[in-house]
Amino acid sequence: MTGGTTRRTTLSARDSLFGFMIALPAVLVFLVIAIYPLLSSLGTSLYDQSLLRPERNFVGVGNYATVWGEFVEHVGTTLTFAALATIFPVILGVTLAMLLNSRIRGRNVLRGLLMLPWLLPGVVVSFLWAWIFNDSYGVVDHVLSLLGLPGLSLLGDPVGAMAAVVIAKTWNSFPWIMVVALAVLQTLPGEQLEAATIDGATRFQRFRFVSLPHLLGPVTLVAVLEFIYNFGNFDTVFVMTGGGPGDSTTTLAVSLYQLAFGSYELGQASAMGVLWLVLLAFVTGGYLLLNRRLERS
Amino acid sequence: MSGARDIGEGIVNPSLSIPGRLLLFVLVLFGLLPIYWLTATALMKREDVFAPDRPLFPVDPTLDNLVGFFRNDALLDSLLNSIVVSTGTAVVSVLVGGLMAYSLSKFRYRGRNAIMFMFLVGQLIPGALLLISLYLMLSSTGLLYTYTALIVAFTTFTLPLTVFLLKGIMDALPDEILEAAKVDGLSRTATMFRIVFPLVVPGLITAAMFAFMRGWSDLLFALTLAGPDKQTLPAGLTQAFIHEGTADWPSLMAASLITSLPLAVIFILLQRYFVSGLASGAVKG
Repeated sequence: MTGGTTRRTTLSARDSLFGFMIALPAVLVFLVIAIYPLLSSLGTSLYDQSLLRPERNFVGVGNYATVWGEFVEHVGTTLTFAALATIFPVILGVTLAMLLNSRIRGRNVLRGLLMLPWLLPGVVVSFLWAWIFNDSYGVVDHVLSLLGLPGLSLLGDPVGAMAAVVIAKTWNSFPWIMVVALAVLQTLPGEQLEAATIDGATRFQRFRFVSLPHLLGPVTLVAVLEFIYNFGNFDTVFVMTGGGPGDSTTTLAVSLYQLAFGSYELGQASAMGVLWLVLLAFVTGGYLLLNRRLERS
Repeated sequence: MSGARDIGEGIVNPSLSIPGRLLLFVLVLFGLLPIYWLTATALMKREDVFAPDRPLFPVDPTLDNLVGFFRNDALLDSLLNSIVVSTGTAVVSVLVGGLMAYSLSKFRYRGRNAIMFMFLVGQLIPGALLLISLYLMLSSTGLLYTYTALIVAFTTFTLPLTVFLLKGIMDALPDEILEAAKVDGLSRTATMFRIVFPLVVPGLITAAMFAFMRGWSDLLFALTLAGPDKQTLPAGLTQAFIHEGTADWPSLMAASLITSLPLAVIFILLQRYFVSGLASGAVKG
């Protein structure tokens, strides 16, 4: 938006038309491949429609009644996963940013290397942690047994499986938060920290009263984004646990996939998707409000 | 300026205390040990990995697992598919998104805010919510199980990404350049293609690379819209390894390593752009 005022005065109506015309391809593409599919799932959700049959029957809100119980159950699981897989990367990322924002040898190399977990495709992250936590040959249980300790067998246990997928996602996400926090810390006004030190502030007080207020906005924003992305996460859970054991790690995305491509119930899966969309609208609304408030300040 | 900065720097960047160093060490281990284990397993012999007294280092390293990837026709097909589809996604996203970004950055018209809102919200729609409708749509147009199907599906999440990334870069272009072009009698189209786009080539490449990486990493659409012949590596890996009773972990880790390698190369090439891209929130975690 820089220079908007000077430019606006020289923009003619034909400039505006040109601007609109070059926006059209992207707008049309996005309407067709994203907005229309989103709305048309509303229609599908009202039909008993299966991949196995060509014809479909109108059932009204029947599909919603069918999937409601499942939906509520999976929302709980999804919320747990999304919240934990947001909180831990935030703590880890901010801590690492604070530690790396110091005079320490090899700082840039460390920062580069610590980006690797973020770089790997989700599937690779999931396979890697599934291997690390493998019940029979996993390296964690192996090292524990070398130390004379009992194995964890995380993936076979409902709570353990949730812990495992949260750890994997935390490992995958913390570099993102770390980079954002580090970028903020490196633009901190030196005078404020200096003044605080002269006034006798301890290191913790400097963090609490100088660094933290600056970090709060940007980190909250990425945390909310991370939460929204985690809420729609598919690959971490699907590859590591397949939603199990039982339904203990079945998130909405995994459940929708299984309904549509495991049971071929497209109508029911769409109903699940519409319920999810309603929920998402609230979270997204919160994000947009926050975004606007931060942009203004 | 540098003098004042130096004094400040000492306080901004204090040297770490011993507990701080210890904590950093532990966190770095958490970050890097899994990468080590990925690489180490890929270099281990199968019998070593499953032995009761299995070693923690590749004591007798082998390249068999890595070579095995290139002897597996299904995985090689997936690799080729990944290259074609991710490149296609990157090209489409940057072409269409580049025009959009220029429009949002330098022009004002009715509906501009609505368009921006659509992409801002669109960025947050999870793929699973589009999955069924996309499947039905592609199926009825006969595009299911083609490269086009995947490119279309990937564009749903790469287009908002490239639009916002490139808009940020174009916002930094001074309007005087456009005014000067106008004074020189250049048409709007010529200004765009001969002045604006050449100036943001590094941005276009960065956006293309981000789109490439996101397409390369997707699992959900690759698993459902590509079919067995056109599936990309994430789906290929999943199909090849997830249903095995006793998974061949060294081969899987080798294949994972090969799948990740192009992304590491891109990262090294673009490292300095990554930080600003990540910090601007244009890129997901």
